Amino acid sequence: MWIQRVIAELRRPVRMDDEFDRNVMSVVRSLPRHRYGTWARALRPRTITVRPLLPSVAAVFLLAVALSLGHAIGTLRAARRTRTRSDVAADRAASARVTTRRAVQFVLVAPTARKVQVVGDFNDWDASHDEFRAEHRGGGVWSVTAAVPEGNHRYSFVVDDSLWVVDPTAPRVIDDNYGMPNSALLVEGGDAGR
Amino acid sequence: MDRSTDAQIVERVLRGDAELYAELVQRYRDRYARYALHMLGNREDAEEALQDAFTRAYRSLARCEDPERFGAWLFRILVNRCRTMGARRGRRLRTFVSDDLALYEAAEDHPAERNAWREEIERALGRLRPEQREAFLLKYVEELGYDEISRLTGAGVSALKMRVMRACDRLRELLSDVVDDREVREERGLPEVNDARHT
Repeated sequence: MWIQRVIAELRRPVRMDDEFDRNVMSVVRSLPRHRYGTWARALRPRTITVRPLLPSVAAVFLLAVALSLGHAIGTLRAARRTRTRSDVAADRAASARVTTRRAVQFVLVAPTARKVQVVGDFNDWDASHDEFRAEHRGGGVWSVTAAVPEGNHRYSFVVDDSLWVVDPTAPRVIDDNYGMPNSALLVEGGDAGR
Repeated sequence: MDRSTDAQIVERVLRGDAELYAELVQRYRDRYARYALHMLGNREDAEEALQDAFTRAYRSLARCEDPERFGAWLFRILVNRCRTMGARRGRRLRTFVSDDLALYEAAEDHPAERNAWREEIERALGRLRPEQREAFLLKYVEELGYDEISRLTGAGVSALKMRVMRACDRLRELLSDVVDDREVREERGLPEVNDARHT
């Protein structure tokens, strides 16, 4: 059967050379080393998505829990071995990485679209997150309100799983890696703004 | 070669042994390079997407919830990277050239014929819609189940089945010149053509 021949050909192994490994490891070495032990990893602060209506309360709660865990981990480690100041600083920085999220409304007018999704650096450009999937509100207007961490972000709309569309109402920025335009988003403490 | 499990290596890397990450790179680079190459259509983009996936995975390693399934988690990152790169570079022609064939293991028989056949297939793959190419590769080349593909891509199972079916139809159409006509007829249950001009 012809399709079996096509599949068999596509399944043939591909081999990367050792230079690829060297390139990856060169980037890895330039990044900060992980410093999680077993317990710290199990109890590490996690970034989770919170409901847009409860961002402040949930964020404060999470921050408190994370800081407590960071302190507990520090105490555990101190009992086992002498710690350096840089270790302590690294753990505290990890705890502080639980960022506050703010509710942001994304709106796109796309009368012929069947599906609209928001992707950005806040969801790793992954179009499979349901919380960033826009609903059709009628008249070709699609919108979604989602929790986004405070800070500067880049994002785009993905229409019908294939077409990338910048937000016509937001400032554009050129992606350094790919030379393509995205929309800029600044989420500030207090009120979220675009 | 280190015989530790993925989970053991992840644990040691998270404790600060960054050099051990090279073992994970070696374990998965070839397997996943194939998907990136078929999805993006040229060696340069495939290497970039794969390298990007490995470095993103390293940065986010503490967020890998099931280190025993590090490979599956990495693959999800790679699929997303290929989607992003493919969408952003959609206007760029797929430039699958003979040089890219060097990535394949050497063909043991009829290398010239084999390379021509590969090039035809890659060219046809490049003309599929990205979501059809993705579904086809995940289903038939990476041999994933529809439920797994659905979790990976966010698309529904029925939509995925439709994409795979359309991809097969389109490939058959695009490869009709190089695929034996008899094979196609047999598959479709059509009778053989009794062409009097050749008798």
